[in-house]
Order: sequence, then C-alpha cells, then structure tokens
Amino acid sequence: MTEIFIEASKKIYNSSVEQWTKDGKPVVGYTCSHLPAEVLHAAGVLPLRLRGMEVSGLEIGDSYFGPFICTMPRCLLQMAGTGKFDFLEGAIVTPGCDSMRRLDECWRKAGKDMEGTLPSFFAYFDVPHKETDYAHDWFKKEVLSLAGLLKKHFVTEDIIGKLPASIELYNHSRKLIKELQQFRKKNDCRITGYDALAVSVASTSMPREVFNSELEKLLSKLKNAAPVKEKGKPRLLVTGSATDDIQIIGLMEDSGALVAAEKICFGHFKTIGTIEGNSLESVAAAYLDGTECPRMFGKYEERRDSILALIEESDIDGVILQNIRFCDLHGSDNGLLEADLRKKGIPSLRIEREYGPLVERERLKMRIDAFIESIRGNLS
Amino acid sequence: MSITAGCDVGSLTAKAVIMEKGRILASAVIRSRARPEEASREVMDLALKEAALSINELEGITRTGYGRGRMPFEGKEISEITCHGRGARWLLPSVKTLIDIGGQDCKAIKLKSDGSIDRFITNDKCASGTGRFLDVMAKVLGVPVEDLATCSERADHPVTFSSSCAVWAQADVIRLLNEGHGVDDIGAGINNAMAARVAVLLNSIGLDGDICITGGVAKNLGVAKALETQLGCRVKKIRKADPQLAGAIGAALLAEERLK
Amino acid sequence: MRPETKAYNFDWMLWRTLDLACNAMTGTEKELKIVMRHIPYFKDILDVFLAYGEPGKIFLKLVYEYMDNIMTAHEKGKKICGTTFCFSPAILYAMDTVPVTLELVTVLINSLWKRGIGEFSDFCYEAGLTETSCSSQRGALGAYLAGLGETFDFIVADTPGVCDTNANAFAFASAYLNKPAFALTFPDRLTGDDVDNYHQKDYRRMIDFLEEQTGNRLDTDRLREVLQEIKKQDEILAELEELQRAVPSPLPVTYNFFIYAGRFFFAGKPLLTELLLSMRDIAVTNMQEERCGLPSGKENTRALFCYIDHYTTNLALWSWLEERGITHMGNILSRFWADNTPYNQNRSNAYNIDSTNLDTMIDSLAAQNSRMPMVKSIRGPYDAPGMWLEDTLSLAQMYRADCIIYSGTPGCRNTWGMVKLLARDTEEAGFPTHIMYSDSFDERVESWEATSARLDEFFAVRGLL
Repeated sequence: MTEIFIEASKKIYNSSVEQWTKDGKPVVGYTCSHLPAEVLHAAGVLPLRLRGMEVSGLEIGDSYFGPFICTMPRCLLQMAGTGKFDFLEGAIVTPGCDSMRRLDECWRKAGKDMEGTLPSFFAYFDVPHKETDYAHDWFKKEVLSLAGLLKKHFVTEDIIGKLPASIELYNHSRKLIKELQQFRKKNDCRITGYDALAVSVASTSMPREVFNSELEKLLSKLKNAAPVKEKGKPRLLVTGSATDDIQIIGLMEDSGALVAAEKICFGHFKTIGTIEGNSLESVAAAYLDGTECPRMFGKYEERRDSILALIEESDIDGVILQNIRFCDLHGSDNGLLEADLRKKGIPSLRIEREYGPLVERERLKMRIDAFIESIRGNLS
Repeated sequence: MSITAGCDVGSLTAKAVIMEKGRILASAVIRSRARPEEASREVMDLALKEAALSINELEGITRTGYGRGRMPFEGKEISEITCHGRGARWLLPSVKTLIDIGGQDCKAIKLKSDGSIDRFITNDKCASGTGRFLDVMAKVLGVPVEDLATCSERADHPVTFSSSCAVWAQADVIRLLNEGHGVDDIGAGINNAMAARVAVLLNSIGLDGDICITGGVAKNLGVAKALETQLGCRVKKIRKADPQLAGAIGAALLAEERLK
Repeated sequence: MRPETKAYNFDWMLWRTLDLACNAMTGTEKELKIVMRHIPYFKDILDVFLAYGEPGKIFLKLVYEYMDNIMTAHEKGKKICGTTFCFSPAILYAMDTVPVTLELVTVLINSLWKRGIGEFSDFCYEAGLTETSCSSQRGALGAYLAGLGETFDFIVADTPGVCDTNANAFAFASAYLNKPAFALTFPDRLTGDDVDNYHQKDYRRMIDFLEEQTGNRLDTDRLREVLQEIKKQDEILAELEELQRAVPSPLPVTYNFFIYAGRFFFAGKPLLTELLLSMRDIAVTNMQEERCGLPSGKENTRALFCYIDHYTTNLALWSWLEERGITHMGNILSRFWADNTPYNQNRSNAYNIDSTNLDTMIDSLAAQNSRMPMVKSIRGPYDAPGMWLEDTLSLAQMYRADCIIYSGTPGCRNTWGMVKLLARDTEEAGFPTHIMYSDSFDERVESWEATSARLDEFFAVRGLL
C-alpha cells in the first residue's frame, strides 16, 4: 500500500513527476525545508526537494567541492552533472547551512563547464538565522522577491490569487501527515518506520495533489490494517541530519527495532501547523516561526524539549542521533542531546555516516545491532 | 556437557574460542581473509582440532565481528560490542570501562554491573587510533608490529608526532629516521600518538571503575603505558587469557547463556 | 586531558608567561638570558618579537594587558564576554566589558604551549562538540569547557549566516556552560538600505542584551572616545596599507599579524594606536631609505594570503617567509574596509565613523562590524559583489602580488565549498595559487614540515623564487 511513496522516495524522477513534465509543466528543485513550497505551487511549478541518493560516484561533486565537506551537496552536484536533474526547469539554493549554500556557486561553475547542467531558472533564497521582527521583515521581502522572480520566469499571472488554494492544499498535507503519526502508537503500530519515512520523503517528491490523494487512501487502509509485529522490538526515534534514505531506517528495522518517530527535516522537523491567512506574508511568517533547525542560533533547548516530548508521546525506548560527516550543526547538537538524554535515562546512539546510497551498511549495522542489543534488556 | 563456541571475524584477524561451563577448551587466531567464510571456517576448524571436537558436538555458536553474516555454520549473530563487553567481564570481572582497539576501528565501551553494555562510542573518522595505524607505521619504520611495544621500553627520548594521521605520519616517520632519530624513540612516539587518540574516546565515554584494553593492541604494553599517562590512572592488564580473544570469548559465553 | 594539564588554569599560565616576557623586555641582557633558559618553548617567539624592536615590545605588552584584563576582570567587578574575532570588541570596551576572543586565545596557546591546542581541542570532542568543527575555536574553547579558565558571564557571536561552524561553537558553549548568548546575524548581501536597516536594528538589539547582562548603560561619551580612537587607528592603518603597496614592501612580514591581532584584541584602545604608530614610523623610514621590510633587505616575491595565516609551531610561517624573501601582502583578516582604505574601490563597501550622536555612533559600529573580516566577504556567494573573489583579486592586483596562498582549516565549510572555484578564477586571472590542506591551528592534521615542504614545492615549481 506504500509502493507509490517508496518509489517517490527512491527515485527523484518518479512516475508522478514524469507525468507532470509530460503534461508540459515546470519542475523547480530546492534544497531546504525553509523554502515555502506553497509559493512555487501557486506559480504553477512543482516544488521538488533535491536529493542525491541515486548517485553512483562523486567525481563531479568532488571536482568542485573540497574534501572536508558534507556529502549531501556533493551528491546533488553529481546528480546535476550526470544529467539526473535535466528534467528541472529551475533550482533554488537556500543557506540551510554553509555546505549547502555553496552548492549555488559550485553548480553555476559546473554549468559553465558542462552545458545544460544548470537549469534556466536558478535563484538563491536567503533565510535569516533568527526570528526577530526585523528577521521576519527580511524573510518576507525574500519571499516576495521569490514570487516576483517566479512570476517573471514562468510567466505566471496570478500567484497571489492562487496562493490561498495552495496554502489550503499544503495545510491539508500537514494534517494528513500528522494523522499518519496516529498509526504508529505503541502496541498498535500499523506502519513501519521505513514506510512512514517513505511517505515523508515522498511529500517533497510528488505533486502535492497526487500526494494528498494517495495519503488519504493509505490512511483509510491503515484504519483496518493489522498491526506490525512489535514484540521484543525497541521503539526508536531517529533525529539529526537530513535523511531521505529509507534504507537506513530499513537497516534499523531489519536489525530488530521499530522506528516509531523521526525528527529530521524531511517531513517532521518543521513544526509548521496550519498556516493561517492567505498572503505571502502569512506564509513567510509561518515558515520562519517555530523552525527547529540548528541553523537557527540559540534554539537548542527548544529542540531538545520538542524531542523529549516526542519521545514521551511516541513511547520511545531509544534514540538514534545521526549526522552526516562534516555536518557541524547536527554533529554538535547530537553531543548536547546525548548528554541531556542520558540525564533522563534515555539510551541513545550517536552515529556518523555519509550521505548517499548506503555503502557503509556493515559499519552502521554493527553499531545499530549493539545499541539494540543493549536496550533490549530494558524491555523485559 | 554444554560446549559452546564463539567466532569473531574482524578485518585483520579471525578468532575462535570453544568453552565449556565458562572455561576455555581451545582457541585459535589467524590472519583474516578477504572472504569471511574462509577465515571463519579455517579458524573454527583449528579450534575444534585443538579441542578434539567436531562442530556437531557444539551446543551453540555465536557469530560476531564484521563477517558474522557470512559464516558457513549455524549460529546467532550478535554484535562484537556486546561480545567484547561480555568477554571483557570474564577476562577481568572488575572491569567497568574497556577499550577495544581493532584493526579498523576503536571502541570505548562502558559496562553495567551485569556486564551488559551501558554505552559505547566508536572511532569512525579514520585509521588513527586503530590497529591499522600501528600496522602502517611499523611497516614504514621497518619493525614488526608485534615488536612496537618493546620500542617504548628501550626509548630514551620518544618523539612527539605532530600528525596523528596514518597517511601524513608516515612522512614524519621517514623524516625522523633521516634526521637520525632512533627506531625505539620513533616507535615509542607511535605508541604515544596511538594512546593519545584512544584516550580521547575513553574520556568521551567517561572513565568509571577498572579500565582494560581488549583486542590485539592490548598486547602492546607501550600503548597501554602511554594510555595510563594520558588518562592519569591505571589500565589493568588482562592475564586470564589472550585479550585479543575477548570478542570470541564473549560470543561463546553468550551462546552458553542462551542454553540456560 | 593529562592530569598535569588540569593542575593549573591555562589562562593563568598564559598570563604569567606573558608577564615574564614583558618584564624580560625591560630587564638587562643578563636577566634576559636567564629568562630564556626558563622558557624553552616560548624562547623562539620571544626572540622574534624582540627582533622587531619597538612594535614587538608594544605588541607583547598589548597581549599581556589583554590577558591581564581577563584575569582581573571579575575582581574589578567587570563581566567577561566569550566572543569571536569576527566581532569587533569596541562595543565591549565601551561598555567596560572584557572580551575573551576564542581564536586569539587559541593562537596564544599554540605560541606558548609545547603541545599546542591538542588536549583542549580533544576535550571539546569529549564534551560532545564535533571534532570536524573549526580548530580556531576548539583550542581555547576546550579549556573553557573543562573549567580551566575564567568563567564567561555571557557570549556574543556574529557568525550565523557567515560561518556555521563558528556560530555553532558558540551556540554549543552557551548550552554546555548554560550562559546567555546573543548572535548578530547578517543578510547574504553587504549593501543596500534594507541591509543597513537590518544591521542597525540587530546591533541595537545586541546593545539591549549587553546592557541587560552587564548592568551598564551604554555611555555616549565613552562610546565617542572609543570610536574616535578607532578613527585614528583607521587613519594610521590606511597609511600602512598604502605603504604596503610599494615594491619592495617596507613592511616586515609580521606587521600583518600585529595589525589584525592588535585590531581583534584592542580596537579602540590607545595602546593599539601606539602600536600602529610605531609600525607606521618604521615603515615610513624603510620606504624613505628604499629598504625592504625583510631582514635580508631583498624581496624575492610577494604573497597574498587570501584567507588566514598559519599559527602552529612557534608561528613558523613568518620565519619561513622571511628566510625566502617573501613579503606578506596581508590576508582576509588584515582588511577592515574603513572608508579611507586604499583598496576600497567601491565606497558603498566601506564603513565610516560618525560620532555626531548616539544613534550615528551605533550605526557606525553596526556598519563597521558588518565589514569585519569574514563577516564581509564570506556571507554570500564567493563571486557576488563585495565578496571573497572580488576582494581577493582586487587586493592581489592592487598590491601586485605574485601569488595567492590559501591557508585555513579542515573545519571551514565555507572554504571547502568554494576554494577550488576561487583558485581556478585566481589562476585564470594570472595569479599562481596554492591551496594548503593543513590546519592553521592544529599541527596534528599535517606537520609543519610537510606543510612547508609543499609550500617550497609550489614556489619552486611555479618559478616564484
């Protein structure tokens, strides 16, 4: 019942995106969950979160980026350089972090070296690192400016007019994704973590109308679905760096755990509730408020408390604190979290990994196995 | 009779231990192969031969190490961290904190009072702090890796390595040799550099109770002594059996516990 | 950390060493010889400072006073602020607060400590900070996290949006030490009314934070005093920067370090003005006598460092440059973008000091701070106006550099996200460019011997020497 989501999470140019492009409609990739996808949707564009799981090498990424940098932007550049992003009509780079924001210049340079690598619409979208009034003002201007750029490039007449419908559509998605969490309760879990993350990732990789429709079908089926086997399986929460790799979750669950919740920026990281209001300003305000990303200065305690609340409400037995190698933000955040979780008696495992197709399987498996073995004793 | 076995296939060595009622009947250690199936078969055969047993007489086997998924005999797979913890507790009943320095990684483990794992941390960045670092350095120095320990005993002025990277440190070894530094002084410096890296992991997990080293590097007393200096406390020596067998011993003991 | 490292507070040891060094300067030759016997690991650096005559002595005094301020702050009823070199300390001095600038203290540890920052840096990892984080903060930060230094009362940074790893180190420190923190943040662009507006509002918000934390109100007269001193310093700096354009350069190699370190330590303080004047006078004399600033008197080649210098093992980079007759054309740290600087072609990139009233003074500081090294040129794409590439190329051209050297750290995500692109562009513009893969603060990554061997190879292969 989750095949369409799994396909979308594994393949960026999946069947629903392919259909979109065949219908002659544009697709614009973006790098960060702080980009208000509603605005692109109102412009008639499919907003697609850029992902790099389909690379089979990094020679292009490594030609532009230096060695001491996160693999995620390197994989994205590799995708672009090997033609896997050729279906994009545009891309928007956001300073989610220093590594990711340099994708902007690396991609432009690669575009000069390899014709066709750079989409015709290419923009840089700034996001402040705090939530003060003047930061909100700045962000609103960025959103308005983005709308202007989209209008100009995609010859869209009425972004403002179409925005309320887009907001409603995305609000509905958020409501449905929240409902999905209700099917992950202890002793009545109807969906594995593998499938749940596939749904979250797919939300960034499909036309929103298709996603909502498919998720409604899934939710309806889950009402009558048999619970997954849970006995003896520790319930895990996964948090840390951006993770769109369902194979990692699969690895954890194959090792004898059940991933019952995530706090990562594909899906559940941002706590945007329902966006009230119909304007670009209300969208801007909602996207900046309540973000839990460690790129926002000084929000560790909020993030920690939010994770603790999720641990409690999801009956979590252990936490996986993962970060991509050279991700300084999550790498350090995980250090603080580990100490704070330990004070509360909550077991956690810090693991460092590379972004990309799962090539470190055995190394990660050993650590995950050991962690699961160590907390299983607590369950009896 | 409750005879069990543990087989631990790592990147550098494969180990097998056969135990009965908490006593070692036989053990074997060999250099690993590219194929863990071959290494595990060979090392298990050696141990069985020493014990004069056939594999069918074993009542339980635990498979561990990176090659645990590909061994050609039945057995439960358990992570090497859990096995090392269990094995270390058998080797040194008072141990609370241990460091396992393997061929390709280094693990600091803290135990609960029942010998199960409280928490652990591994070195994931590079070869620095692993057996591979010593292997590479020893080769450049022209000294068998098993003789590195004696360098520390004989050194007058151990050199301080600027670099802890297994790649750059090789250049430093060559430079030091050409500058006329003695092999022992350089070897002692290598041991000290290794200990410094390992100490960071141990301090990260927090020292608690008795500390010991397992894995092949435990036999390098130069590293052990340097680690004591770094930590400012004693690192207890394992005398009950070869510390390199800790993982296989723990595996065999866990197999025995499953029988109960 | 070894037990002996924890026996004394590290900052107390730095302070006493610097005190001894300063006293040695004023003693007799016999006394100096005795002192040198007791400081085997600092001896070479002290020699360097003494060899530079008056500026060297003033600089040592400046560094000693900096540490003295830290060590006596609490007993004098002052607050201590943990901060970064990207943040101008002028406002802190105006509010009678003592800064501890992590990166500067890291360099001091490397200069005065046989084992460098290794143990402190490792403690950061033990405390939970990722070891891929920039070593410039980790050196000193580890000591403070371990409780081996004077306690911070609060933290101020200005690097979110400029340098994640820097900002992250301070965010971590705030959470770990449970100290309040404020960070100035920056839009991705430098100029424009909306950008100025952002800077000004943010700076005022920071002042509110400082007033709350220190219990001191920002005093107009005090602030004016500091800003007028900065203005004086900017004028002298502009002269030095102009002199540096001459071929051969009349500025000794280490003057660049004195300039930026002095500015990070003591912007707005009279002792820095004294240092700058002393350096200026010597440079002018060298210029008049057509003498190169190098000890050999012969300039073989001119190197622009497009990022930072290298600070391990007795600050060996400077002697290395001198021995080869390479003059130092400055780096990203030694440019401050006041409106009177010779390299500032675009006036809107500059700041100016207007001390008419409190508002204009705060706006001046906001503008100055937003043009601090790194804050100015790293906040946006490297090839955007007023950013890294434009700055590097315009400086290389103006100062007639023969080559460009990148020196930094593995912890710098900004660097490793664009340095290959920068090097391509600078090579295309005709400047041989060398990327150092060492760590400017942590020699365990690559030994100085390996680093210098690669530098020698670059200069030899590219025919620069």
